[in-house]
Amino acid sequence: MADTTFMGVPREKIPWFPTIDYDKCTFCMECDAFCPHRVFERRENGTRLVVANPTNCVVFCRACAKTCGPDALSFPNKPEIIALIKQVRERESAK
Amino acid sequence: MKRAILSCNGLDKPEGSVAREVAIRAAEATEGEIICPVLLNRAPARYKKVISDSSLIVIDGCSTRCATKLAMGLDAKVERKAMVSDAVKASGKPLESSLRLQPNGLALAQSMVEELVRSLNAPAAPAEPLAEFEAPTEYLAVTHDKFEFRIPVVDYAFNENDVWVRVLDGVARVGISDYMQQRLTDISYFDPPKTGTAVDQFGELGSVESAKATFEIISPVSGTVVRVNPAVIENPALINEDPYGSGWLVEIKLTDFAQDQQLLLDGATYADVVKRKAAEE
Repeated sequence: MADTTFMGVPREKIPWFPTIDYDKCTFCMECDAFCPHRVFERRENGTRLVVANPTNCVVFCRACAKTCGPDALSFPNKPEIIALIKQVRERESAK
Repeated sequence: MKRAILSCNGLDKPEGSVAREVAIRAAEATEGEIICPVLLNRAPARYKKVISDSSLIVIDGCSTRCATKLAMGLDAKVERKAMVSDAVKASGKPLESSLRLQPNGLALAQSMVEELVRSLNAPAAPAEPLAEFEAPTEYLAVTHDKFEFRIPVVDYAFNENDVWVRVLDGVARVGISDYMQQRLTDISYFDPPKTGTAVDQFGELGSVESAKATFEIISPVSGTVVRVNPAVIENPALINEDPYGSGWLVEIKLTDFAQDQQLLLDGATYADVVKRKAAEE
């Protein structure tokens, strides 16, 4: 997936992915069961969960957080990410 | 049509206690029948007739959405949905931690029911259309395995989040692409944004749900929501049947479309995105 882009910007330059708050997470795995992009991976015989593939996450998608009963998933500030995408695009087009 | 209320029962979380209170008050306000989610799960035959004769009001406590998931397993018409944890966030007042209802919880239940009743009583007739959109005629087709995804060639623009926009006279009509409706499969519910809401480009425009997934609609443009498609509220399957035509979702009065366009794709470019996404699945 390393060569994927979002709006012409290399995906790895866009820090959009979920962060798990381990103080809240109950490891119910609803988010992992939901996400078709394999962003999460289960560890320790399926009892723990990590964000293993952050660049698989669809930029601006927050659907996994909507499956999270304990509200343990957070995402970056959207306007800041949009500003960053525009900045990179402008830099690229100026080259 | 009669109404039935399927709600989170609220035994282990404060949000659940509020959901239960909303359910009781909604049943009183609509003369609806309460469906016990536990009994429904254990003995679905008990509610077979109620469900076939009623439209459902579904009330979830938290994002685990037990009530929604139960509703999806039924052949039921979902008329409205509400979620306590979202309402808590919108109210800005945290719930008390007790499982017994406290002042904030009671006030929230009251306002959620008022909002619910208001939306149920809202006149079905929509505001006059601000522009006349004609159905697309020419499509590009992306094929993958046995699937064919159609993409209109002219007049439509897209974001990479599989949402289309079509603009006429300063008004944008927005919907989801044929690729996304096929990925979601049968869409059973459209949770619309409120009219009058200001939205930024890439902001949220509600969501659509199927048994497979919930899809958050990422706005391709910035502006104000002026109209929600009443036909899709009534019959969400229209999104599957005619995603670029009668299955449109909302209309938005634009604020700065020239700016928005910098981050939109034309049909041919979006076709390449669909090709890539389909190959990655």
